Amino acid sequence: MHKAAPTIYIVDDDEGVRSSLHFLLQSVGLTGHMLASAKEFLETYKPEQPGCVILDVRMPGMSGLQLQQRLNLKGATIPVIFITGHADIPMAVEAMQHGAFDFLQKPFRDQDLLDRIHRALQRDARHRAELAQQERIRASFESLTPREREVLALMTRGKANKVMAEELGVSQRTVEVHRARVMEKTGAESLAQLVRMAMELEP
Amino acid sequence: MNTDSGGHVAAMPAEAPAALHGRLLQVSRMATIGEMAAGVAHELNQPLTAIVNYAQACRRLLGRPGTDPAELQQALGEIAVQAERAADIVRRLRGLSHARQSDRAPVSVNALVNQIIDLVESDARLHGVPVSLDLADNLPNVLVDAGQIQHAILNFVRNGLEALASRPSGTGRLVIRTTVTAQHHVELAVMDNGPGAAPEVVGRLFDPFFSTKESGTGMGLAISNTIARMHGGSVGYRSNFPAGACFYILLPPAESAT
Repeated sequence: MHKAAPTIYIVDDDEGVRSSLHFLLQSVGLTGHMLASAKEFLETYKPEQPGCVILDVRMPGMSGLQLQQRLNLKGATIPVIFITGHADIPMAVEAMQHGAFDFLQKPFRDQDLLDRIHRALQRDARHRAELAQQERIRASFESLTPREREVLALMTRGKANKVMAEELGVSQRTVEVHRARVMEKTGAESLAQLVRMAMELEP
Repeated sequence: MNTDSGGHVAAMPAEAPAALHGRLLQVSRMATIGEMAAGVAHELNQPLTAIVNYAQACRRLLGRPGTDPAELQQALGEIAVQAERAADIVRRLRGLSHARQSDRAPVSVNALVNQIIDLVESDARLHGVPVSLDLADNLPNVLVDAGQIQHAILNFVRNGLEALASRPSGTGRLVIRTTVTAQHHVELAVMDNGPGAAPEVVGRLFDPFFSTKESGTGMGLAISNTIARMHGGSVGYRSNFPAGACFYILLPPAESAT
């Protein structure tokens, strides 16, 4: 699996603030991707790219809040850290209610920002790993034949081979063969693990 | 009022009407500036944020061996630029709030607009409203007290921004336009695409204490009216096409002003 370096997007219409954030990130060895508007961000952002967004609440054109709504509608899960001016606290509260990762009031302590970026990237990585894991399980389950899927369903319900053989109208030996294939194709090492994998697919 | 018959208390010595008038205008001007303070505070916060970011980055860089001095120089240069920007914002606000003698000088209304446009924009930005200028290039000068006319313009702008608060965010627009009328008067108009004034209130818009807003004092437009009259001009309202309000002030050209 390829692992792209996370991108830290900085979306702020104020050139001074934007450049200073870029410089601050650089001073700790991080690279920020500067964008002057929500529109620019939407044109640049690729959902498969891991990272986080530092987003100014108040911008001309599409505001930070409107951008967040757009991202939510698209099902994008990239963590958003809002940065707000003093008068924008009610907006920040609204942003948090809509799933923002965090918010900071301008001006902020550099360490506070860096800590939040770090945590946001961790959450994004965790979330992406979970999604990738689900995807792997889904693909392996989809590789099963219809008969193997029937066996899988009975296995996860804890049925013994003998009971399965009766229910499916086949020999116990045949059930054993299907069972072995299911374990092989899904990569599960035990029945318990197989049950956990099946549960992950139905949240 | 003094009277020698008993039972009456001598009233406060009457202030000369002109002086009283001047003081009222000054108080009103300060109130307008106060209302715009939120926008200015927000505007000031931007360079301050940039300065803090650069300073903190410099501290980190200095704590690390092998830092390139050129990098620090760049950040320090930016700090100076941003501090200048902050000072500029303060200067503009101070320039407007200074109590000035009512001295009239010939000036272009366009120049008056340009002097306050940053202030107007910072207030408008806070409301999420873009402001566009449409200034005629061959305006005759007007003989005015610059501060008072700017005060009248700011009142129109604030009025427009408040009217636009009822619109969905991001859809409000404000235009400041200057034109020369057929009578060679200079017209400055502030147009918005808000709901406009209801027909039944149009006749009272410039009356003192008349306000359709809960928080309004009803003085902004009345003051603008007074200012226009003191300059031999007038104010007015018309609806804006296709929607919204247009408030304007008409001023006579400098050569005909009395």
